Amino acid sequence: MSHSRFGPGNLPAIALATGAGLLLCAVANTLARSTDGYPMVLYWLGVLLIAAPIFYRLTASAATPAERLALVCLLGLALFGVKVLRDAPLFTFSDELVHAFNANQIGDHHHLFEANSILKATPYYPGLEGATSSLMAITGLSSYSAGMIVVGFARLTMIGALYLLFLRVGGSARVAGLAAAIYTCNFNFLFWGAQYSYESLALPLLVIIMMALAEREAVRREALRAWAVPVVVAITAVLVTHHLTSYATVGILLALSLAYWYVKRSWQPPNPWRFAIFAGVLAAAWLLIVASSTIGYLSPVLSGAVKAIFHTLSGEAPPRQLFQKGNPAVGATPFAARAVAVLAIAVLLAGLPFGLREVWRRHRKQPFALVFGLAALAFFATLALRLAPAAWETGNRAGEFLFVGLAFVLAYAVLAAMRRWSSRPRLTRALLTAAISLALIGDAISGWPWDAQLARPLKVSASGKTIVSPPLAMAEWAAHDIAKGRFAAPTADANLLLVPGNKAVLAGPYPDVEDILEDPQLGGWQLPLLRRHKLRYVVSDRRPASSDGLRGYYFSTGGSTEGRLPRGVTAKFETVPGAARVYSNGPITVFDLKGRP
Amino acid sequence: MRGHRDLRIAAALALVCALLAPLLPVEALSLLFALPLACFLPGYALAAATFARRPIERPQLLLLSLGLSLCVLALGALLLNYLPGGIGPVSWAVLLVLVVLNGCRVAALRRPNARAGAGAATKSSLRLSGTAAGLLIGALLCTTAALALTFTTTSAKHADGFTALWLLPPTPRDAPQGGARIGVNSEEQKPVSYRLQVRVGDRPGENVRRFSLDPGETRVLKLGPSASASGEAVAVRALLFRGEKPANAYRRVSGWLAEPSP
Repeated sequence: MSHSRFGPGNLPAIALATGAGLLLCAVANTLARSTDGYPMVLYWLGVLLIAAPIFYRLTASAATPAERLALVCLLGLALFGVKVLRDAPLFTFSDELVHAFNANQIGDHHHLFEANSILKATPYYPGLEGATSSLMAITGLSSYSAGMIVVGFARLTMIGALYLLFLRVGGSARVAGLAAAIYTCNFNFLFWGAQYSYESLALPLLVIIMMALAEREAVRREALRAWAVPVVVAITAVLVTHHLTSYATVGILLALSLAYWYVKRSWQPPNPWRFAIFAGVLAAAWLLIVASSTIGYLSPVLSGAVKAIFHTLSGEAPPRQLFQKGNPAVGATPFAARAVAVLAIAVLLAGLPFGLREVWRRHRKQPFALVFGLAALAFFATLALRLAPAAWETGNRAGEFLFVGLAFVLAYAVLAAMRRWSSRPRLTRALLTAAISLALIGDAISGWPWDAQLARPLKVSASGKTIVSPPLAMAEWAAHDIAKGRFAAPTADANLLLVPGNKAVLAGPYPDVEDILEDPQLGGWQLPLLRRHKLRYVVSDRRPASSDGLRGYYFSTGGSTEGRLPRGVTAKFETVPGAARVYSNGPITVFDLKGRP
Repeated sequence: MRGHRDLRIAAALALVCALLAPLLPVEALSLLFALPLACFLPGYALAAATFARRPIERPQLLLLSLGLSLCVLALGALLLNYLPGGIGPVSWAVLLVLVVLNGCRVAALRRPNARAGAGAATKSSLRLSGTAAGLLIGALLCTTAALALTFTTTSAKHADGFTALWLLPPTPRDAPQGGARIGVNSEEQKPVSYRLQVRVGDRPGENVRRFSLDPGETRVLKLGPSASASGEAVAVRALLFRGEKPANAYRRVSGWLAEPSP
């Protein structure tokens, strides 16, 4: 056995910069949480300090493959850290509370598939919550801590698997490092993709599948079967974890099969068509036998997206406004930030033709490279969906998958630029680092509302004690003092009634609880609907943010009651015979419709 | 597994972790043992078994160890769901240990001869200078400081404090006596004094309580039952006034007294 010793390269210095960047982000979030301003410059400086040194080092030819792998893993974990620093120690994204409730239900009942009143499809894709339950059960950790650990491991796995995938397809550690780093520039990497939600586990598993297929393609015929094992195991795990990712898996496997046939004119292994069929059959069976409620959940979203595209194209509906205003306390996205976001897209677009040319020149005989090239083109097509109101989310979600291909293509654009301006390598590397950093920040601005990038006050220290925001106080009261009974509540209150409230609660338009809670008049249809769904408690919340699953959890600031919903939205329930006004904390009032014994 | 040091270590580690992780009373310590058991060893054992005959490179092995472990966790819950006892600490620990032990055993049987590890044809070690170690320690300190800052609850002088008032039937323990509970919960930024006025049915006069609460403090008052002349449920109404605005009702709740159960 040979024994080699190797140095860590620039990793320690870069790790220090990463740590300092995380500290800056923590300070910015703490200042925002303590309502001492909204220090976005400090925050973006922190993100830059994390990412830019890594980008710069990855453009160097001197870094070893091991150092590159370590650097991309550091980048992936540190950017996940940015999300953790914003929220800890509580979940504050709408989907997170839904999944945390499912995880708590597994802990309470010791079985899967317990009902979730807000998102009915989620218990039927229990992969993430099941994984979380292992750590919760063995260690006694909360769903927050266990969930963040599982997602953290999934992020580490994803970025590492991306590196190995790109290494196998591109045949170059430099390309692999750059492409994996560029992938972090996708719209959802910083926040949406890092949340405690089923896609945060399913997407890394999909990347594992792709990596294993790429490895399988490179081995001798007798080793094909061995690589089929991780592919089959990961396909099955994706299937029980997330509906959309399982369909994306089928789509990607089909695209790879066709690309393989196009290049090699063969359906023989390693053509992955058998895996495509396996994934397709399993996904269909799971959907029809186990998770049939998913059809009712996804069909309005997808059909709404298609309708919105047609309405926007035909001029029947105005296009969606980009950078919509959110929290009035923070204000609209400033012009400079919008400019960075638009420039980021321009940078990605500018690199596309050069990258595609390089990929075609070097790898046109590789099925993976062809699929990556097509995905890169499709990514820009999905940007148009952002202009159609109901199609925005579909485009945003698709971007996370398609960016895998775009990252590979853009890595070649970076290499082409370095070759083109090889006489001034340091300047070229610095400029390319600036361009990738711009893409990271610009796309993070595009992918997440400006006013939600930093933390808001949820739990606050007062005279040495901890006080909590109005919706959290209401949810904690319900958890402690209401033994049973279903709730109707606006979205933000409903999410907190799931966790920490641990209550069955309905919100939103299906059934139309939303209109009941926002209408100042008690319409004749409202009480029958509440009774039909056995909703004993009604949460009336006059804060406009109460229907916002991202912004509705926090303290209001500055004593302003401006913009509150009319008094009637609360007062109307006092006229209901037998209803008791059981809780009031100012903006939030809870009625017990069966209050009279 | 004789001759396969990596497999022996993995199997032994899985057993030790499975025994200690559920027993340790401190979550952080328990996590120290649970993490390898849940997030690394199952994947390592599966990868070792799968690639026993044709070893893969170390990065691929490490990556598959993480990825396949996540798969085992995602699919393991589904398996446990249909077993007696369902999903719990013991069933999880047993399942993970079984996956690791079986994976290691299959790997040992399939490996053509005794090797140190699936991907360890070349042994390499990291050479770290004093400066590099110092920089890494600095990075660790910065990250720890960032996490400490995040997990510390800070003051927020512009956050609007508030007080909640609630009225509920008695707790199940007090239910036989009937009556009601009235709670005042202060989420104010500073101590506040209150006046609570409670009117029960058409009973003359009001029950008035004065008290002050610190931030985060809760006061619960118990109301006894009250029989009405007509036999109907007795209404109760509570008004909360803040000390600095004694004329304006600050919060209001209303309901009924529960009857004593026979």
